[in-house]
Amino acid sequence: MAVIQVPTINDHAQDFDRLFDLWNRVNGDSLEVVFDFSSCNFIRQNGVAFLGGLARLIQYRQGRVDFKWGTLQRNIFTNLAQNGFLAAFGFPKSAWLGNSIPYREDSFQDKDAVINYLKTRWIGHKWVQAHISERLQDSMIGKVWEIYANAFEHGQSPTGVFSCGQYYPDQQELKLTVVDFGIGIPAKVRLHFRHDPRALHISASNCLQWAFKRGHSTGTEGISRGVGLDLLKEFVKINKGGLDLFSHEGCARVDEKIDMVANRTSFFEGTLVNITLKCDESFYHFSDETVEGPLF
Amino acid sequence: MKIIIINEKIGANCITLEDGQQIYDAIYPELSAGKPVELDFDKVKIFASPFFNSAIGRLLKDIEPDALNRLLVFKNLNPDGMVVLKRVIENSKQYYSNENTRKTIDEILLAQGEDQ
Repeated sequence: MAVIQVPTINDHAQDFDRLFDLWNRVNGDSLEVVFDFSSCNFIRQNGVAFLGGLARLIQYRQGRVDFKWGTLQRNIFTNLAQNGFLAAFGFPKSAWLGNSIPYREDSFQDKDAVINYLKTRWIGHKWVQAHISERLQDSMIGKVWEIYANAFEHGQSPTGVFSCGQYYPDQQELKLTVVDFGIGIPAKVRLHFRHDPRALHISASNCLQWAFKRGHSTGTEGISRGVGLDLLKEFVKINKGGLDLFSHEGCARVDEKIDMVANRTSFFEGTLVNITLKCDESFYHFSDETVEGPLF
Repeated sequence: MKIIIINEKIGANCITLEDGQQIYDAIYPELSAGKPVELDFDKVKIFASPFFNSAIGRLLKDIEPDALNRLLVFKNLNPDGMVVLKRVIENSKQYYSNENTRKTIDEILLAQGEDQ
């Protein structure tokens, strides 16, 4: 059995490299893996979602996964118990409500289940409810649904979609990570342009840039698409929040001032979106839009 | 005029392609026959682009914008829904007027060449 040390996972760029290194180390069939937390001092929502998805990927590939729960520091143990991660992997302790937003696995698109999770568990915390109006909450949920919709529709993940969140009351921030272990955006874009042999040479970052542009989508059913990521980006900028997306060796960062894509040295097959939203109503100006002139 | 109460047919969350398809199936025959339709979004709270892409954006493939302006009425659509709808319509008009993917890949590779 291979013992894999889970490192400390924050949500800075190098933390994602550490996560993708874990993926590279277990990227094979019929592996027997034990995750050991002796070297882990902290694990954020991105680490929880990724680790859960990775464990399911190993199991899907006929492998076996064990967790050395005894190596968890007390604060991490409490966090993983509270958000339901421990229970999801067989530890006999039920989740409870707190600052951790539950770890979640979706093997298929169940809109009511996901919306219920976002509404009652992610944005439904009494602290969030006290800071932002119901109208803004609904708007946030709609934008975050775009991440799930892309993951379910384009991810082609055999194991589904994994998510986890966290509140940071001191920073007035609400975070959510959504990850799938499907084919990844660069592969999907290259496949979309397969009629042209040059498509094989499009870099991962340029694939992401294409996918982020309004009106661009790999959907082939003859329906205009490609508005979701654009709406999400726009919302994140107004919100003064942040969005990080990783797929293959490509990454994208969007915040109030930055809108960039780049290639990194680390690689994982799939797509991870980590979103940070500010719970501050003052950034928003909902105008009561009326239809001025023709809509079409 | 055919009136569709969206909350009764779909619920309070208009977010998926599948739900959009239901609305499209209900309104396309009427609109293509030149008959008016009203979509009432009362009590609908959450909107996302896949729903409008499938329900409304597709209409522009076969029906002229002028006809849609005349025949299709949106009632009780909240501001957030209106933002998503407007973006989808704008995108759809562009999509059905230009599907030149060859040009797009040329643009990507050109940008890539400039980066290197």
